Amino acid sequence: MDVFESLGKIFNVSLIYATFRASTPIIYAALCAAVTQQANILNVGTEGIMLVGAFTAVAVSFLTGSWILGVLAAMCGGAVIATIMAIGHIKYNSEICAIGMGINLFAIAITKFLLQVIFNTSGSFSDPGIDPIPTVHFAFLENIPVLNGLLNDWAFTEWFVIVFIIILQFLFYKTVWGLRLRAVGQFPMAAQTAGINVNAIKYQAILISGLVGGLAGAHLSLGYSTQFVENMTNNRGFMGVAAMYFGGANPALTAVGCLLFGFSDSVGARLQAYGFPAQFVLMMPYLVTIVVLAVSMAIKVAASKKKESSLITG
Amino acid sequence: MKKALSVVLAGLMGLSLVACGPSANEVASQSAEETTAAATEAADAAEGGEEAAAAEESDGPIRVCIVYSGNLGDKSYNDSCNAGALQAVEDFGIELKSLEGTTAQEWEANLVAACEEGYDLIIGASSNNADHIQKYAPDYPDIKFAVIDTTVDLPNVESISFAQNQGSFLAGAAAAMFTTKTDIDGVNADKVIGWVGGMDVPVLHDFYTGYEQGAKYIDPDITILQAFAGSWNDPLKGKELTLAQYEQGADIVMNVASGTGPGILEAAKESGLYAIGVDLNQDNDQPGSVLTSMVKRVDNACYLVIQSVVEGTFEGGSTQYLTLADGGVSLTDFSVMREYLGDKFPEDIVEKCDELAQQIIDGEIVVENYEGFGPNA
Repeated sequence: MDVFESLGKIFNVSLIYATFRASTPIIYAALCAAVTQQANILNVGTEGIMLVGAFTAVAVSFLTGSWILGVLAAMCGGAVIATIMAIGHIKYNSEICAIGMGINLFAIAITKFLLQVIFNTSGSFSDPGIDPIPTVHFAFLENIPVLNGLLNDWAFTEWFVIVFIIILQFLFYKTVWGLRLRAVGQFPMAAQTAGINVNAIKYQAILISGLVGGLAGAHLSLGYSTQFVENMTNNRGFMGVAAMYFGGANPALTAVGCLLFGFSDSVGARLQAYGFPAQFVLMMPYLVTIVVLAVSMAIKVAASKKKESSLITG
Repeated sequence: MKKALSVVLAGLMGLSLVACGPSANEVASQSAEETTAAATEAADAAEGGEEAAAAEESDGPIRVCIVYSGNLGDKSYNDSCNAGALQAVEDFGIELKSLEGTTAQEWEANLVAACEEGYDLIIGASSNNADHIQKYAPDYPDIKFAVIDTTVDLPNVESISFAQNQGSFLAGAAAAMFTTKTDIDGVNADKVIGWVGGMDVPVLHDFYTGYEQGAKYIDPDITILQAFAGSWNDPLKGKELTLAQYEQGADIVMNVASGTGPGILEAAKESGLYAIGVDLNQDNDQPGSVLTSMVKRVDNACYLVIQSVVEGTFEGGSTQYLTLADGGVSLTDFSVMREYLGDKFPEDIVEKCDELAQQIIDGEIVVENYEGFGPNA
């Protein structure tokens, strides 16, 4: 086959939506991590919160037949798990990484267990009775060839994530609560002196992070697909945490990092079909993770050095 | 820096916990054990049978442990193996333990745990377990090992593998014919078909070799898109790869991916396109989207090997190769798809596949093997 024709099949319009589709779960995960990161808490438990959310979403959607209830329950489930983490970390002063990893392992075990108890099956659960998150269909786009394929039939949560990024951006940088949150993250002592209840803010951050993580899981199991599979997050939570670092917990920049992952994943999926070694292609998202983190860290270090030197000379 | 270090340490801790996995799987096999107890009583009541006598020799039922590379509930390979084992529990009253795991560390740890537990028979359910059996079986000469889907040449290991290349040949031929049926909804004019595998292991290349040969036998100019998900349990990845192949012009994609497979079939359903199932009959998993399934009788393999131990005919170092002629592999009867497509159902595909199957059985068509596979491997 002609090289250009092949390239045309790899880099075409459908790649744009494929990138966004693959990125959305990671964006939600990254936003989950970003909320706590603003309060200087590294949310290692993102993966576990998502997994619990994914299970709860499928279970409730199946039992009630309503995706809205499924999503809401998933958010509550995420919040409950996050609360455990918050109490452990804030009240009992446990190391966040330890309790976060604990949450992740717990999530794998509890979802596996509940899958057996509630649905009497192991490994995976899919059923026509699960009500998926609906797709959004614009009738007026039907006659426009390119836009129809590009923008029609996205899952509701795929559109919502764009709104959500804007909401969080506003919340962090334009509201009093956001200012307090960032103050707690950057210099808790100063925040306390200013009369901010540091622990209360931290609790709120983790709780909101839990809600977001639950939503991330719900999108995975009801939006991106319509099933629950054991450990279906498959490290997407960790990739979210990496993207959050890349974006410095800024929602918009974080989303850019996620799109980079999604893009490398989607290009990889297309490259494989043309005989590129699978091992290399499957490595790409992780390779990109390392490169992206290295670059963002280098920029950060350079910036902080500049700040230091100007302090001294100034 | 301190924080970074603690992240690494926590990560290591997590890994080590995962590596001690087997205990987490006990829940899974508990129900199986309960059925075992009931079945044992039944077998005792029956008495007289040769199997009962053999079981009594070792003071109690024969204890079998199956180490899976993946989880049960994949509605594919692993579930098929489990079905054979459960049948054996029912028929012979053996004691069964299933150890699931999703990473290579877990598979190895599970195998070692099984060896230490002193089971009579340990079955490595897939080719992923072969290396570990190769490594540990010599240390436990009194334990009987079996490996399905590949060959391990050791005196206490029995190997059962399949001519998946023959079954895949038929699947490839069916796909190549199907992609030209443009009167069926969703089928485009491009002669492109797809293939999505789980992990990049040799046995999957044996599948692919047959699939490619079968497709090219029908149409030498056909394009086949190939992709691996790199996992047996990431359906979302499987879905993404399948959608990518559809977007590149494929209208039918073969699933060879165990727990990653449900995502492939879901992609077919959502895109209004088609897939081919694998291992178990998956025609009904997404009815109307699955043309046929390449059924691999892993259940038979598992049952046979347990039977051989129960009846005392277990032969270490032997290899069984189940082909199309033995019923080890086959296509389904297309009945679900026929119902969905009605008048548009292309009967000629079924007729041609039957004809090709007969030619393979008669030796008129020789299906190539991937290196290291085949009757003499």
